[in-house]
This record gives sequence, C-alpha cells and structure tokens, in this order.
Amino acid sequence: MAGIVGSYALTKLQVRSIFTHSRQRQLLRIVGTAVMIIYAAITIFPFYVLFVRTFVSTKDSTELHLWIPPAQEISMDAQVGNLAVFYNLDLKRVKEALGIPQTEFLQSRITLKQISERYNIPPERIKGYFAGFHTYNGWITLLSGADFWLALGRTLLVTVASLVGLTILSIFTGYGLAGLRRRGQMIIYNVYLLQMVIPAMLIILPQFMIVQWFARLLPGYDSPGLLRSVIQLLIVVLINIKGGAVSTMIMTSFIGAIPKEIEEAAQLDGASQMQYMRHILFPLLKVPVASLVVIMLPQFWNQFLEPFVYLDQSNTTLLPLIQNLSGVYSTNFQILYTAVFVSILPLAVVYLVFRRFFIEGAMAGAVKG
Amino acid sequence: MVGTAMRLSRNALSYQNRAILIQYLFATPQLVLFLTLTVVPFFVALPVLFTDQANYTDPQINYVGLNNFTALFTDPGLQAEYLPALRRTVTFVAANYLMIYLLGLSLALLMYEIGFRGWFFTAVYLPLMASGFAIGYIAVMLFAVSTGTANLLLLKLGLIQKAIDIKSGTGTCVILPILVGWRWAGFNMAIFLSGLLSIPRETIDAAIVDGASYWQRLTRIYFPQMWPSFIMASTFCLIGSFGVFDELVAMGALYGGNEEAKLLSVFFFNAAFRSDRLALGMTMALETFLPLVLIGVFMQRLQRRLQY
Repeated sequence: MAGIVGSYALTKLQVRSIFTHSRQRQLLRIVGTAVMIIYAAITIFPFYVLFVRTFVSTKDSTELHLWIPPAQEISMDAQVGNLAVFYNLDLKRVKEALGIPQTEFLQSRITLKQISERYNIPPERIKGYFAGFHTYNGWITLLSGADFWLALGRTLLVTVASLVGLTILSIFTGYGLAGLRRRGQMIIYNVYLLQMVIPAMLIILPQFMIVQWFARLLPGYDSPGLLRSVIQLLIVVLINIKGGAVSTMIMTSFIGAIPKEIEEAAQLDGASQMQYMRHILFPLLKVPVASLVVIMLPQFWNQFLEPFVYLDQSNTTLLPLIQNLSGVYSTNFQILYTAVFVSILPLAVVYLVFRRFFIEGAMAGAVKG
Repeated sequence: MVGTAMRLSRNALSYQNRAILIQYLFATPQLVLFLTLTVVPFFVALPVLFTDQANYTDPQINYVGLNNFTALFTDPGLQAEYLPALRRTVTFVAANYLMIYLLGLSLALLMYEIGFRGWFFTAVYLPLMASGFAIGYIAVMLFAVSTGTANLLLLKLGLIQKAIDIKSGTGTCVILPILVGWRWAGFNMAIFLSGLLSIPRETIDAAIVDGASYWQRLTRIYFPQMWPSFIMASTFCLIGSFGVFDELVAMGALYGGNEEAKLLSVFFFNAAFRSDRLALGMTMALETFLPLVLIGVFMQRLQRRLQY
C-alpha cells in the first residue's frame, strides 16, 4: 500500500490541471526551473568541495581551491618537522623505506636535502618516496591503513545484517499486528510509535546499562578478543533490528490492506500460517520491503552514536573510526576529509543507481507518516 | 442438532483463538527486543535516578533522595554549565525549525506548481545520504576560520568582510542549522509534497476560477488541508534537533575543545560516559526531554486524528 501510494502520488503530479497552458504558467515554469537548477547546483557544491579538498594538503588549505590542484613535488628544502605536522609522517616508516637505521634520531629542523647528504641517499630516491605525497597524501594514508578496510567491512556487515534482520522481524510484526483489529494489537502498535518521539540520547543512557548487564553474562565479553568483538557487533545489530515507528507503520499498513479472504482461502486449502506467509504473503511484499530498505539503509550506514558507544576503538565502524582518526591526525585535515568523502561515496552511488526506489520510498514514508 | 451446532461453533472459536495466538506469536520476537532495548531500560534506570552512581561500573552507590532532581534548580555551578547549553540548544532548534519552511516547504510548493522533476528530487534528496557526522565535517570544511572553503570564497567575492568562525556561536546556531536544513530538505519536501498531493484538485481549481490570489490559495486552501504534514515535519524536527549529537561531535564538541558546540545532548553524554556524573546526567536528561516526549505523543495523536 505504502509504495503504491508513493508511485501513485508521483504520477498524480504529472496529471495537468485545466490551467496548465496559460502564458503566466509558462513563465512560472521557466523561472521555477531556473530556481531548481540553482538550488541543485548549491546542493551539489559542498560534495564537490569535499572531493576537491581530499586533494588539498593541509599546508595549502588557507588558499581557496575550487579545482583539484596540480600535483606538486615536495621540496628538498622541506623540514622533517613540518612534514610530520602537515602529513603526519610516520618517521619509523620513512626511515625503513629510505634505509636509515632506526637508531638514528631525525631532528625536526633537518631538511630532506641534509638527510640525502648525511646518509648518502640519492635525492631521486627521497623524491620517489615522497612523490604524490603532497596531493594524494589523504588517499594514500587512508587506503594503505588496515584499520580503514576493517572498519569498512564492519560497517558493511552491520548494515547488511541489520537490513535483513529488520526486514524479516518487521514482516512478522506486520503480520502479527495486521489490521489492528484488537485492543492488544493497537497497544503494541502505539508502543512502537513511541520510539519516534524519544530522543536517541535519552534512550541510550539507560540502554547502555542494561546492555552491559546482558553482555557480561556472555562468555568472552570481559576480555579483549574475537568473541568480544563479535558480541559488540551483535549488540549494534540487535539495536538496529529492534524495530520502531517507521518499520512497524510500513509493514502493518501494507499487510493490513491485504484482503483477509486470501488468508482464509489458504487456510481452507489446508495451508498453515507459516506456509501462507512463505508462499502468499512474502511474494506480495516486494513494495513495502523496498520502501523499508531504502529508508533504513542510510540510517544504518550512517549510524554513529551506537557504534561509538558500544564498540571498542579496535573494533569500530567507519564513522567512529573517523572520530578516532581526528585524534591521531589532529593536524592533517586532508586525511579526515578524505575519510568523510569515502564514507559518503558508496551510499551516494547506491542512491544514484536506485534513485527511483529511494524517491518512491521517501514519498511512501511521508504518506504513511 | 443444537448441540452439534454449539460444538461446531466452539471448535471454530478455538480455531480462531489459536490463529490469534499464533498471530501474536509472530509479533513477539521483535517486541521482546524492542521492549528490552527501549522500554525496559527506563524502568531499570528509575532507581538509579535517586542515587549518586557516578558511572556504569561504580561499585559504591549511595541513596541521595531527590538531590539529582533538585540540583538543576539549586546548584549554581551546574546551572552555569546547563543553562548556556539549554540556550544554545533552543536557538539551534528554532533555527532548524525555520529551515523546514525555508527549504522543505518552499521546495515542495515549487515542485507542486511546476510539476514533478525527477532530477530535482534526486538532487535535493542526495544530502540525506551523507551522515550527520559528515555534515559536521562539511561545516568545518566550509567555515573553519582560516581554511574554510566557503569563507575563502565569500571573502574573495567581497560578500563578507570577516571570516565566519564555525567554532563560534554563529557557527552552531546559524551555519549548522543551514547545513542540517540542507541535509533534511529532501525529507521535509517529501512530507509537504505528499500533503499537497492529498488536496483534492477540484478545490484548487475552484479557487482559481473564483479569482483567488496565490497567497489566498496558500493560506485558505493549501495550508488548512496540510495540517498532518505540518505536524509530522514539526515532530521530526523537534525531536531530531533537540537530540542532535553526531554533527556536534564532528565539529569538535567532545574532544576538539569547541565550547560553543556543546549542546544538551553533548552535556548528557559527557555526564554519563566521561565525567562520572551518570545519575545526575540521566536525571537531567529525563527532566529536559520528558516534556518533549509528551509534546511528541500529543502531536502524534493529533496528526492521526486529523488524518482519519
């Protein structure tokens, strides 16, 4: 029902009124389209700037950059201390790559030229090591870190598990409450609606308490290790699939709108409730499932508070990882902007590919509340 | 004969009862999760509000009566922390609320008047794919005092004389609401658009025939029939902006030393997780948010009554 209402609503917009063809109307259309183009451009602008800024080193960030700056070589007169500040050089790795003994102490005032002379390293080798460092520093540092890929994997895992779990449980809830014909069903429905009006911060403070109680009962939670990581990720998934106002409203209204006669006919033919769900209900649910997925996908992918609170720093998803990075790379905003850009990119691509579903889902959600 | 009929009906009844029971059984798994993780915690936390529990692992817990509840009204030190946060939060919420109409409603009206444009909806809805956390970073990227791209651009164009500082009051109460409004524009537009679409076309055409101006149409025809949309957008905005957190963390409210970004949710988070004032923080969160929850419930009721 929800999705059908959504697409019906959209087609209704294309039905023209009897007054469509006046001249005033045409003028309005031109001006309106111009406004739309301008607003769309403004909307895209911050994302574009973010993309550009992933290539702007912290050193150059006080200048205005509206296009990707040309790649620069690092000057041989650059001091190690400054490089360390701007690019968060890991001196250990530098020494390893250039063949300098780890026992050597590199003063912060020393320049690359002096290093080349003192340790007999050809300047080309140093230049080679730092090639592209200036412009692509953010990308290189981020993509070469194992932390990033692990966090990305965890984000993906939590998102997919949450979507699948929420969909299945919400269908069950929708079936259980379908029609809201009884008082008990109405009460349960209203309890779910409550979730919409309680701020997340009010929920999580006491919730953390009860989750800790339960988690402590599980073996392996108290000591670091794989088991603890798995339990923590499971906690976040469970919080995501507990359902709420949106999932319950979508499923209940859709399943409630399916004629009762279909189920009765199935029962007369000897189908159990499970068989009815499996063979008749599920195939009918493509539309509400699509709505639910497109509404919840951004929420799960972009979740910050729960992973930030429940996951260890060594076991974190993408956004809390960026928060941790901001402590490590406090002077290198290039890598932080790169990380933020990368966190948006996958979802933006999915959105642009499946935009029809997202728009219909948004309209359906708006109609249903 | 009568007996058979009664037995039959009793059988039918028990069959129906069983069906009802099974229906409830299907609703149980998620309900158990929901109650355990959302409703039960409140009851578990109730006794804590009357103690001095400092954090989640505090071994020494003493009963302190109603101290936590009255601290907000009697402790000047606490007030000095809480009241500025409250003031900033209210300003932030008000600015956010304004943005719903400046962006969401106007864009919906624009789309309604000149017809549906898929590309435009796609563009307006795109920022919702970015996380609130990313929005905070984008705010810093655009309006950091010496490196913000928007700052540098506006200075170059001569539109501002002095760079805007994202770490100032303006940053939290003007710039951030604009960006949050920009992020939610597509969502609010969808709400208002569906409200507009539920208006019977005949009433609008009749108003045009009668020579009503656009403003008259808006206030007499459109808005009165869009009440559910207004209430829904208001509820979302109210609850969402009072609880704003991710954006503020990204702007440095937790570890970045950005004092101006410390709104209420940051205050409660710090009390519970970082500064060993768990019971106090929970009590104050409840005192602050409970009126909101009640308003939210009332608005939900109102919306449903208007819709059906």
